[in-house]
Amino acid sequence: MHSDILTIQGLTFGYPGRDKVFKNASARIRAGELVVLEGPSGAGKSTLLRLLCRLEEPLAGTIAMYGESLAAMNPVRLRRRICYIQQTPTVVEGSVRRNLLLPFGFKANSDLEVPSDTYLRQRLEEFLLHGVTLEQPASALSVGQRQRICVLRSLLLWPEVMLFDEPTSALDKESAAVVMRAAHSLHAQGVTILLVTHALEAGEIENAVPLRVNGRKLER
Amino acid sequence: MYPVEIGPLQLALGLLFVLLAQGLSLVYKLGLVRDLAVGTLRTFAQLLLMGYVLRVVFEVNLMAVTLGVFAVMLVTAVHTVRGRVKERSVPFVLPLGFSMLLSYLTVSVLVTSVVLQARPWWNPVYFIPLSGMVVGNSMTAMAVALDRLFSSLRARRNEVEMMLSLGADYREASSDITREAVRAGMIPSITSMMGVGLVFIPGMMTGQILSGTDPMLAIRYQIVVMLMLVGSTAIGSTLTVLLVRRRCFGKGQQLLLPPL
Repeated sequence: MHSDILTIQGLTFGYPGRDKVFKNASARIRAGELVVLEGPSGAGKSTLLRLLCRLEEPLAGTIAMYGESLAAMNPVRLRRRICYIQQTPTVVEGSVRRNLLLPFGFKANSDLEVPSDTYLRQRLEEFLLHGVTLEQPASALSVGQRQRICVLRSLLLWPEVMLFDEPTSALDKESAAVVMRAAHSLHAQGVTILLVTHALEAGEIENAVPLRVNGRKLER
Repeated sequence: MYPVEIGPLQLALGLLFVLLAQGLSLVYKLGLVRDLAVGTLRTFAQLLLMGYVLRVVFEVNLMAVTLGVFAVMLVTAVHTVRGRVKERSVPFVLPLGFSMLLSYLTVSVLVTSVVLQARPWWNPVYFIPLSGMVVGNSMTAMAVALDRLFSSLRARRNEVEMMLSLGADYREASSDITREAVRAGMIPSITSMMGVGLVFIPGMMTGQILSGTDPMLAIRYQIVVMLMLVGSTAIGSTLTVLLVRRRCFGKGQQLLLPPL
C-alpha cells in the first residue's frame, strides 16, 4: 500500500509572461493528512491547489496520485477524486436542490446514486442551514450559506482529496466555523485535506501539518 | 422595361453626395474629410476592378478560376474576422477557416446545384455572386459568435471551473456559454428575416430591380438568398464555436483563457 497519496516531483510552473511560481519543487502528502499551506500571499498556495486538480498544468515535473501521474489520468475522473473548493462560492441559477444535484447530471458521475431529498435535507441540517429549503433559489442565499452549499455539493461526490482555497475568507464567523468543522469531520473520515487559509496558521488547527510554499519551493 | 444607363456623367454626379458629406465634416469638425475621400476612391477602384474581374471570369468560364475567386473571398473573410475578434491567446484562425470553407461551400453548392439547378454547379454567373453574399453576411455572424464565446468564458470563468471541479467535461462546463455564443451569431440574420420587405429592401433585390429584372423574380431570388444566409450562419457559427471551444481548453480539460 502506497501511503503517499500525492507526490510532487520537480514541479515547475509559471503563468505566461510572469515569473515562475514554482521551480523544481517537491513534496509528499500522506493519505489522510490535513495539510495547511503556509506562505506569503502570492507565493503560489492557490496555484498549487489548482495544479493538484489539473486546473493548471505543470511546465515540468510530475504530480502523482498513489504513484500514477495525474497527467496520464482522465482529468474528468481525476477531479471527482480530488475536489477543489473555490474561494468565491459559485452557484448556478435555480433551486438549492438543482445546485446540490448539479454534478449528478454530468456524464462522468452517472455511476453515482442520486441522493434523495431526505438525505439532502439531513445534510443541510448538519451544515447548520436551518430553514434553507431545497426549493428556494440558491442565488438568494448569503455568501456564507452559498459556500456551505458548495462544500456540501462536493462532499456528495465522496472525494478522496479535498482542496479548500481560502474557503472562509469571505464568510461570517458562524459559516467559517461550519466550513472548518466540515473539513475536520472529513479528515476524521480519512479524507485527505489541503487547505489554504489566511485566518489561521497550521498550529491553530487541530491535527494539521504545515506545508510551506517558499521561494518557489515546497517545505514540510 | 429598360434600365437607365449609368455613364461616367452619372457616376460623377454621385460624387456630389460625397462632397456634401465632406462639407458637413468640415462644418462640424468631424475629421472625416480624408477618410471620405479614401473611402470613395476605394469604392470606385475595388468595384470597378471587381467588375472587370467578373467579366473575365464569366468569359473564361473555368471551374478552377471560379473556385479561385471563392478562395480569395474566403481568405479575405478569415482575415476580416481575425481583425474583429480581439482574443489572441487562443489560436482560432485554422478552425475558423475550416468552418467557413465547409459551411460556405456546402450552402453555395446546394443553392446553385439543387435550388437553382445551375449547370455546371460552379457556373460563375450564379456561384460567385451567391457565395459572395454568403461569405459577406455570415462572416459577421462568426465574428460575433467568437467574440461572445471568448468574453463569456472569461467572464464566467468561476462557473466553468466550478463545474470542471465537480466532474464536468469541457463540453458540459461550457454548454450554456456555447449555446449563447451560437445564438448571438444567428440572431441578426433571423432579425433581418423578420424585417425584410417591411423595414428595408435588401441590396441585392434593389440592384436587380434597378437593372430591369421583374420584381417577382427578384423577390424569389431574394427569398432564396435570405434562407441561404440563415443556413450558412447557422452551420458556420455552430461549427466555428464548437471547434474553437475545444481550443479554449487544454489537455487536462482546463480552461486556458488567462484571467484579464
